[in-house]
Amino acid sequence: MRLHIKVFLWFWLGVVVVSGTLIGLTELTHSRVQDDRLWREKYGPRVDLWARQETHILRTEGPAALEAYVGSFQADPGVTNFMFDASGREVFNRTASPPVLKMVDGLMQSSGWTQGVDAAERIIAERVIDAKGNPYVVVVDFPAPSVLSRSLVDLLAADFSDGRPTRASLLRLTVVVGVAGIFCFVLARHIAAPIDRLRSATKKIAHQQLQTRIDRGVLNRGDEIAALGRDFNGMADRIETLVTAQRHLLADVSHALRSPLARLNVALGLARRHSAPGAREHLDRIELETERLNTLIGQLLTMARVDSGIGLEPRVVFDVAAIVDEVAMDADYEARARRCVVEVSGARNCMVSGAADMIRGAIENVVRNAVRHAADGTPVEIFLERRDEKMPGTVVINVRDHGAGVPEKIVPSLFVPFYRGPHADNNQNGTGLGLAITRRVFEVHGGTATAANAEGGGFVVVLELPLQAQGGADQSEAVRPTIEEQGKNAITAA
Amino acid sequence: MTRHLLVVDDDAELCQLLSEYLMPEGYDVEAVHNGTEGVERALSGDHALVVLDVMLPDVRGFEVLRQLRARSRMPVLMLTARGNEQDRILGLEMGADDYLAKPFNPRELSARIEAILRRSGDRRTVDARAGELAVDDVTMNKASRMVRRGPEPLDLTTVEFDLLEALLRAAGRVIPRDELVRTVLNRPFSPFDRSIDTHVSNLRRKLGPGADGLDRIKSVRGIGYQYTLRHAPRGVEK
Repeated sequence: MRLHIKVFLWFWLGVVVVSGTLIGLTELTHSRVQDDRLWREKYGPRVDLWARQETHILRTEGPAALEAYVGSFQADPGVTNFMFDASGREVFNRTASPPVLKMVDGLMQSSGWTQGVDAAERIIAERVIDAKGNPYVVVVDFPAPSVLSRSLVDLLAADFSDGRPTRASLLRLTVVVGVAGIFCFVLARHIAAPIDRLRSATKKIAHQQLQTRIDRGVLNRGDEIAALGRDFNGMADRIETLVTAQRHLLADVSHALRSPLARLNVALGLARRHSAPGAREHLDRIELETERLNTLIGQLLTMARVDSGIGLEPRVVFDVAAIVDEVAMDADYEARARRCVVEVSGARNCMVSGAADMIRGAIENVVRNAVRHAADGTPVEIFLERRDEKMPGTVVINVRDHGAGVPEKIVPSLFVPFYRGPHADNNQNGTGLGLAITRRVFEVHGGTATAANAEGGGFVVVLELPLQAQGGADQSEAVRPTIEEQGKNAITAA
Repeated sequence: MTRHLLVVDDDAELCQLLSEYLMPEGYDVEAVHNGTEGVERALSGDHALVVLDVMLPDVRGFEVLRQLRARSRMPVLMLTARGNEQDRILGLEMGADDYLAKPFNPRELSARIEAILRRSGDRRTVDARAGELAVDDVTMNKASRMVRRGPEPLDLTTVEFDLLEALLRAAGRVIPRDELVRTVLNRPFSPFDRSIDTHVSNLRRKLGPGADGLDRIKSVRGIGYQYTLRHAPRGVEK
């Protein structure tokens, strides 16, 4: 069914049910009042007549005759006739119910001929005066309506005739609001629940759970949401195929490019064994170039992975400060050869979310770059800074060397792939992709990478990453993926 | 002495070159080009070591490793694609003895093969001078190469066993990372090679937290690792 028809029918049904409830309640209370009125009109005069007769019988024929007369009432099931004398004593010593006694008390206080009616309890009482001037009260107690309908109607219909907003009308309003509430809730759920499911599925796809599909529960609805679900599944199929194809392509390209290099390396090893002494220098050169080619292929593939988002899994929550430490420790080892040191200071415990390996590589590019450009015997300083003013905050990693710096006008170009500056020192170890990769990695993680000449000489690269929101539910997932997950990733990456 | 190696790699030309390269170093290379055959041959018991490529045409190298590890402890050196950290970690976690990123330098390959064989060869010579080492609730028996945490035996790979031994011997003292790489992995330390950290983290996971809920193996920033000590080592090796 079309969604708009559905919404229409639901609203319509809601309105019908709510107004039905309203009308029903009115009818119920109305008929109850009607009932009471009819009963009163019917029995009021009769009781008056009986009271006169009974008083007459008592006076003229005595209690025995009266008892016989009253006994005839007992033939009617549930109807009881009482007679109280001036002292409040029941003439035949029968026990009466409390509402009856209450009414008798009330009437005894009054004077003359008076009729009292309790429509709710179905009691009519009449104060009569016999010839000697003695007051009596005659009570006829009719069977009352059942307790259930009684209390329900009392609750809803009491004081209806007053025409003022009372407890009862508030109650009626509550019932109407309640019924309307139930309908609206069901309707809202009916519409919102599948949308929630679509949303969570979309989120899962965005987090690379590409097997996610909308289930049958939504698809069988037959409305626009179901159609959306089917379209979603179609789209998910397509994305899954494309991403898988892309992954395979990258893996194949990597394999295809590296296999010849692997063979070249082994062949080179063999050539070294059989080479004349003079060839060694050239073989070293071949080895160096092979290594460069391999690094370049690796970086191009990394770039492709970052750009396609494939390399960004698994996403985990990790401490970037710990990673900086590890990178610094390794770079320090490398730097010692040139009497340089790599020092880390500043903030600790900076939890971020992302692909830890990618970020490690990105930071490593910058730190090794700094070590390479540092003047002999100078420190490379890494300073971590938390910026918590805004939520969620960010962590800023400053990597500073004390080297020659970079001509001001080429600073912005340093992040451009394969950029070669006019004074580039042949960039023996760099491929021209390192900083470009770093920037891309930080950007896809919602961060930035910038660089500038530092005050007092040297060069500083500033990396910024958003911190993982504190206390978030994701925090509990702050662990490395399990072997199973890694296995799965490894297999899908094949 | 000629040692038999099994190379499982779909690149037949590379296998040919490797066989030629390793021959003068005293290795006799048998090459198979798919995983199914790889498992079959590896379980034959004819070889001292398997060089296993992750990328195979039929089943993945990891699957070969899993099937192999289910039945045998024979040394495995994995060849992974360079830059793929996950493959490396997964390989080591699944019980590979070492890994080498492809393309590799053949000198390095033969050095690593040598290192692994020396280590697994140690196993037999160690049997003679059996000894037990115990720190807190962890006991290791060098003769049976069994490690227990309390009464519960732990399943450690060869490298993890050697790593634990090094850490237990120096319990309470910090061992620098480069020293661990040299003594446990039998190779020179090179920065940015994180395999020792992976081994430590695998070992940490298998050992579980200590009685006080903290990691038994502590990372000491900028230096290396330390097995935290609550009581002095009890067992003394004979």
